Amino acid sequence: MERLRILIVDDEPQITRVLRTGLKGHGYDVRSASDGTSALETFGDWHPDLVVTDLAMPNLDGIDLCRSIRSLSQIPIIVLSVRGEERTKVEALDAGADDYITKPFGIDELVARVRAALRRASMPSNQETTEAVLLTGHFQIDRGARKVTVRDSEVHLTPKEYDLLVHFILHAGRVLTHRTLLGAVWGGNYTEQTEYLRVFVGNLRKKIEPDPSKPRYILTEPWIGYRFDPGK
Amino acid sequence: MTILSKKITNFNLAALCIAGVTIVLGPITHQVNSTTVALALLVVVLFSATLWGSGPAVLASVLGMLSFNFFFLPPLHTWTIEDPHNWVALAAFLVTALTVGHLSARARRRAEEAEAGRLEIERLYQELRRAFERASHAEALKQSERLKSALLDAVTHDIRTPLTAIKASVTTLLEEASNHNGDKKISLDAAARREMLEVINEESDRLNRFAEGLLELARIEAGELQLQRRWGAMEEIIARALERAAPLLSGHRIAVHIDKDLPVARVDAKALSEVIYTLVDNASKFSPTGSTISVSALKTDNETIQVSVEDEGPGVPEDLRRRVFDKFFRATTNGDLSARRATGTGLGLAIAKGIVEAHGGRIWIESGSKGPRFMFTFPIGNDDITTELNQPEGHDGTTANPDRR
Repeated sequence: MERLRILIVDDEPQITRVLRTGLKGHGYDVRSASDGTSALETFGDWHPDLVVTDLAMPNLDGIDLCRSIRSLSQIPIIVLSVRGEERTKVEALDAGADDYITKPFGIDELVARVRAALRRASMPSNQETTEAVLLTGHFQIDRGARKVTVRDSEVHLTPKEYDLLVHFILHAGRVLTHRTLLGAVWGGNYTEQTEYLRVFVGNLRKKIEPDPSKPRYILTEPWIGYRFDPGK
Repeated sequence: MTILSKKITNFNLAALCIAGVTIVLGPITHQVNSTTVALALLVVVLFSATLWGSGPAVLASVLGMLSFNFFFLPPLHTWTIEDPHNWVALAAFLVTALTVGHLSARARRRAEEAEAGRLEIERLYQELRRAFERASHAEALKQSERLKSALLDAVTHDIRTPLTAIKASVTTLLEEASNHNGDKKISLDAAARREMLEVINEESDRLNRFAEGLLELARIEAGELQLQRRWGAMEEIIARALERAAPLLSGHRIAVHIDKDLPVARVDAKALSEVIYTLVDNASKFSPTGSTISVSALKTDNETIQVSVEDEGPGVPEDLRRRVFDKFFRATTNGDLSARRATGTGLGLAIAKGIVEAHGGRIWIESGSKGPRFMFTFPIGNDDITTELNQPEGHDGTTANPDRR
């Protein structure tokens, strides 16, 4: 089997060095670039399956890189960030990144996210699908009848709650920013109304979570948004 | 009210003075001639004008004239005048008195206006100074805010980056160490293991360098930098700096020019070598591979040596030329200086500035012929500036301190 390709982009040579060795040890084929522009070149020549990129870089920065890659491809992008840069993280996620990891991190944590992102990318349901029935983890959704079943029992959702849940399911595992969710479910005029979202997520949790105070499906990413885990 | 009463007092005083002169001179009319009396009365008019202004002066003039006529011009104690000459004298007195009064009152007013002007200027000056102080206080605050955010930035980057590399290396090695029962998640060859260990080693050094830089800067800022001054040759100091910088310079050509008749200087050779190292390191980071870095040293006058390090990079914009010497200032925090990110700590140039200034010199940036030119000067010095025993050596440029190599 051909090894999956990962492109690492960071202007700190020590970090690319470590990540290259660490990810190679996990069986991936790895290349690295030290700025956004050369990353795009490598991207074009080599067609990686996943990109791990730093945010603050000379020339093209991480956010612009996310945007440029998104205009070409849907491959997963994981951004490396530091605590305290929540705004940049949100920007990167809005620009098309799938996930982020905060420096410093253990290689196991990175590998886990890389695996999850690659797995999602290989699943057809990750794309906008017109399948009549969505079946993932503990969730079963009959799109024709707008019927939702969680752990084999049916729940009744309002139309907006239903839309929100479907959006979560279609993007399971990805970090979805408040902005993205608001735009997807309520439309572009509502992207700043995070309190809407909080209320609807709260209601949705009451209906689908076994313990709404300790959510296991709709996970909060503080200051950023939510991540949906469909359960196994 | 008070102004009015003060005015009345002034008029009264003027009248009183005329009365006084009249009373003093009246009884002795026969011993003094009329000219003396007229002059005495004129003095009163002059005083009134100077002290109390034009109104009292006019009053004094009129009263003086009346008094002169009534008490001193024969026939005495009448309003008539015997000698027609005395009419002329009386008229002359009045005109003189009025003119003197007017002129001196005007002089007084002028003086008052000048004084008011001076006070106004002083007030404006004070106000300006206060405004300036407030502004510089605000500037200092802004500066300290900027420094704080730069410090935060430095901590984020300069500590977190090595930590990230170390943590990723260590977790990779740990993961490999916990591989067992054929349940292999990760496989590293010997070279990969070695590379991880090397990264850990290098990045620990980098953290340590950062800590040392902070410490050195703190020492400089507290004025506790102890220079170990000895007679030393620039040739040697530059050579030592370039030797240390050699690993960074593989991609650059180095041109060294040292004046033939450059005297030895009484300096801290190690510290100055550090300054030159920092400048060369900086030049190598901000100039393209394959370009030339020129290091030169020359004597500007009999007391000063000037060292410059010039590269062919894009240079430093005018408005940042002072700020690059601020601690934690990084070219790329503005993103406009170089295609390459500065990998330094943001401390090097601040430390260099501290060292040069501790030598009594100064450091700055100019535009060179092909790129930026970092320059610094320092006094050649003499045996008086001594922190320890002298070790004067020959002026042949071979000076060295064996214990400091």
